[in-house]
Order: sequence, then C-alpha cells, then structure tokens
Amino acid sequence: MLDWLDAFLISGLFGVVQIIGLGLLVHLQMGLTRVANFGVAGFWGLGLYVFGILYGKVDWPFGDPWQFLVCAIAATAASALAGLFVAWLISDLDVDGALVGTLGFATVIFLLATAWSDLTGGAAGLGGLGFPYDAGPAKTNEFIWFVLTTAIVAGILAYVLWVHRSPYGRLLIAVGTNEPLARSLGKSSTRAKLTLFTITSGMMGLLGVMQAVMFRFIIPANVTINITLAALAGLILGGITRAWGAVVGVLFTVALFDIVIQFYVPLPQEWYTQAIPVAREAIFGLALVLVLLFRPKGMLGEMKRPQLMRRIHDFK
Amino acid sequence: MTSSERTRAEIHVRGAKKSFSGRTVVDVDELVLGDSAVEGLLGPNGAGKTTLMRMIMHSIPLDEGTVTLHKRDGSTITLSELPPHQMVSNGVVKSTQVVSDFDQLTILDSLLLALATPGDESPIRWKAERELAKKHEEEIRHQLDRFGFGNPNEVAGSAGEKKLLDIVRCLLLKPDVLLLDEPTAGLPDDITQLVMSAVRELALGGTSVVIVEHDLEVIWELCDEVTFMAEGRVLMKSDPETIRNNSLVVEKYLGADHA
Ligand SMILES: Nc1ncnc2c1ncn2[C@@H]1O[C@H](COP(=O)(O)OP(=O)(O)OP(=O)(O)O)[C@@H](O)[C@H]1O
Ligand SMILES: [Mg+2]
Repeated sequence: MLDWLDAFLISGLFGVVQIIGLGLLVHLQMGLTRVANFGVAGFWGLGLYVFGILYGKVDWPFGDPWQFLVCAIAATAASALAGLFVAWLISDLDVDGALVGTLGFATVIFLLATAWSDLTGGAAGLGGLGFPYDAGPAKTNEFIWFVLTTAIVAGILAYVLWVHRSPYGRLLIAVGTNEPLARSLGKSSTRAKLTLFTITSGMMGLLGVMQAVMFRFIIPANVTINITLAALAGLILGGITRAWGAVVGVLFTVALFDIVIQFYVPLPQEWYTQAIPVAREAIFGLALVLVLLFRPKGMLGEMKRPQLMRRIHDFK
Repeated sequence: MTSSERTRAEIHVRGAKKSFSGRTVVDVDELVLGDSAVEGLLGPNGAGKTTLMRMIMHSIPLDEGTVTLHKRDGSTITLSELPPHQMVSNGVVKSTQVVSDFDQLTILDSLLLALATPGDESPIRWKAERELAKKHEEEIRHQLDRFGFGNPNEVAGSAGEKKLLDIVRCLLLKPDVLLLDEPTAGLPDDITQLVMSAVRELALGGTSVVIVEHDLEVIWELCDEVTFMAEGRVLMKSDPETIRNNSLVVEKYLGADHA
C-alpha cells in the first residue's frame, strides 16, 4: 500500500493543504471584511510554538491522545486570543494601520521564537514532538496525519461556503464594503471584526498545531513571512472575494510549483539548493503581477452575489 | 396608557454645538423633534440640517450639548453618549442624503441585512439564512412590490434605486424616530408619491418622522409642523402655513417669488 507515495510527496501535499487552509481564512478577513492581515505567520506560528512547548516541554500526567488534545486545544485558544487582541488593536485603523499592526504581531512571534531559546530552543529548534498514535511505518503515520489535516481544511472550506450563504457573511461583506452605513443599520462593526478574528486566528493556530506534529521538529524559520505571502499570493491569484479563490489559486501556485514542477519535471540536482527557492518566489511574484494586470479580481473574478442569492432564495 | 407613556418618541436637543475648523455650523439652544407626527426641517443649503441630524445619530461627535431620546415607554436615554450602532436598537434611524450602498450586495441582501438581528448574524448559527428569509417573507415581498423594484437578486443600479433602497432599509428597521435627509431627491415623481405614502403610513403607526427636503411640495403636503434653520440656528418652529408666509423665511430661503 501507499507505494506511490514518497515522503517528499506527502510533505509537498501537506504544505499545499496548509496554505489552502490559511488562504481560506484570510479570504474571510480580507476578501469579505476587508481587514488586512499580513500577520498570518504569527497566528499560525503561535499555535505551532504553543503546542510544541506544551507538548515537548511539559510533563503531562497522561499520555496520547489526551496529551495531544489538551495541548492542541490550548494552542488553538492561544491563537484565538491573540486574534481577539490584535483585532481590538486594529479595529479602528485603516488598511495601512491594520497591515502594520498584523505584520508587527507576526514579527514579535518570530522574534520570540528566536530569542526565547529556553522555551523554544531558539534557532537550534524544538523537538520531542510526534504523532499521537502509532499505526506502523512512518509513512503510514504521516499519511494518516495528512488525511486528518485535509479533513480539517475541508471543514474550513465548508465553513467558508456556509458563511457566504448566511446572515453572518452578509454582515461581514456589509462591514467590508461600507462600514459607516453598516453601523447606521445598527451593526456593531467592531464586534463583527473581533469575533471574526477570534475564530479565524484560532483556526490558523490549529493548522500550526497540525504542522508541528507533522514535522516533529520546529524552528523559527518555519514562521517567517514566506507562509503569509504564499497564502496571500494564492488567494489573490484565485480571487480574494471568492469562496473557492484560495483553493484554485494555491493549486496554481504552490501545488503547481512545489509538487508538479519539482517532482515530475527532471531538473538538475544542483538546482534544488540555490536556484529553485529563488525561482519559486520569482514565479509566484510574476504570476501575481500578471493576474493583477490582466485579471485584477483574480482567476475566478468578482464576488457573484446575484447568482448565489438566486440559488438560495426564490424572491422575484 | 400610564401617565409616563407617550404617543410618540421625542428627541430633545439641548445646547448642541458643532464647528468645523473654527466655523460654527450648528448652534441649537433647544429643539424638540417628534412632538408631531411628521415634522419638516427646512433651511437653505449649508444651514446645518444634515450636520444636526448626524449629531443626533452621534455619527459625528458634539462639541457641546446633549441629545436625549424620550421613548414611547416613558424612559429616557442620552443618545449623545451612545456609539452610532446603538441608535437602531433604541429605535432611532436615519437615511443618508448622499447616495450610499454596499457595492457587492444585491437588493434582497440589503433588505435581509436590515432585518437580521445580532442573533441571526451569529458566526455559528447553522440555519439562520433560511429562518430569516422565511420569517420576513411577507414583509420583503410587500416592500419589493410596493416600490416596484426590478430584480431583487441584482445589485441596485441607478442612483435613484440606491436612494430608494436606503429608505426601504430604514422602513424595515421599524423606527420610533425616523430622520429622512432629502429622501426624494433624484427620485421620479411616481416613486416620490410612494415614498410619501409610506412615510404617512409609518407616522400613523406612531413613528415620529423628521424630514429634510428641498422639494417644498413634499414639505407642505406631509408635515404637521416645520422647523426653520439658517446658519446653524433654529429660527422658528410652527405650522406649515405660518412658516410659508413668514417674512424671514421668505427672505432667507423661499425667495419673494414663491407661490
Ligand atoms: N465634515 C465637514 N467638514 C467641514 N465642513 C463641513 C463638514 N460637514 C459639513 N460642513 C459644512 O457645514 C455646513 C453645513 O453643512 P450641512 O451639510 O449640515 O448643511 P445642510 O443644511 O444639510 O445643506 P444642504 O441643504 O445643502 O444639504 C456647510 O457649510 C458645510 O460645508
Ligand atoms: Mg444636507
């Protein structure tokens, strides 16, 4: 079984699924509610590290799966609280303010991961993590974890699709497109943003937990802006206002490059260390520029409320 | 009805001042709105009518003074201490003078948005959309038919349609006090008539309506009382006939040649 899968392919697919999940969550924040978030790596990284520290450094009186569950819930909650706090800081700021605030938060997380080495292991990294089960060979364990993570991301996609069809989503769009008008209709835009960031940041933290377990070892280089940029590039490319935007966009960037090109196109071995990472960023950048030039709303285009409303209601 | 209850909600403006870059734009000592069913607020361009309404809604802060709401149940609340989004839950609603809409939302979206309560808008309430549409189905159909909206599943197109949508959103909020800032500007005559009859109906139901309008026909026809403002001050408040024939109003606003 699973012969067709090698460890690289699993980790490549895992990365794609992670970025899709993050892109979907950013879609709710930036695509619908128009609150800029350049701190994705921070919320995700906080979950990753809180889990890593709790799981790897604390002596728990019980073993897995309880140990995993308790640590995962705590890490998710930490990210959710951070989301609430950052949203409160930026809720009255304009796009530039939100951008600086969220980026600043991610920078703080990165610096803490690097400098607080008693806890995080610093640049040397933090180990002692593992799967909360043992199903045999490493590859099987990894595959199971990949399937679980995919299920979580599918759940996030289902939630995003539901949001588009709910009064909650309508509220987010209203706040995003005309905040003063939404307020004049009695909507608390601040409350909407705080709830949104609490939920979506918590989910980002949970994705970070899944990542920590998959790689068993975490280093500050995991939580750099690269992951934010990958999620944003994919989302914008696919269509920032569309529910499926992140899925389509990430398939055409991260998946296409990290999996199809790297695994199935025969490239000279010596390219992998130097040329490929640079080429990857350059190609993502170029794709983004081309899309913004020729299809500024992304591959899927504009938000399509008329079609959606016609499908769910029968007012004529 | 107990002695403290009143037929209509009233807004009391006291010592309200607002200036922009040193220039006083609103300076109202004492004004009661809502003591009659439909009240007009009249005055030349720049008199401060819109600014006063925005001060009442607390969408701009007051430099001085207070705005209080005397509710129909007899209780009183200081509006000038509340954030703007809490006006609606206290029954105070305002339409906007400048055409304002949500870019992406359809007409139906707009109506459902106005109707949805915070409970409907919970981030985890599974069946909220269907329940919301079902609960208000009749009301939505009624408003769509009455104003002859085109396809409710499209985004409002013309400025007129957006303006009308703004008013319908306000109607759906079932206000106790409704402030209308030039509601019929830019609307065709037949729609203007529809809006006016909707306003009358609302007033009959106990809502206090305050209406700013440069279309004087609308004012004379609808209003039981008219307040006249110029240069930020309330100069007089009286019945439409008296206002119409007052020499000061004629001089400052109506012009000598008005019919
Ligand atoms: N945000 C602002 N900043 C500076 N000046 C303002 C602002 N809002 C209003 N003004 C000024 O205040 C004065 C009153 O404006 P306001 O809009 O209240 O008048 P209005 O009576 O509603 O006039 P109109 O009949 O033309 O709508 C005007 O001179 C206007 O230029
Ligand atoms: Mg005005």
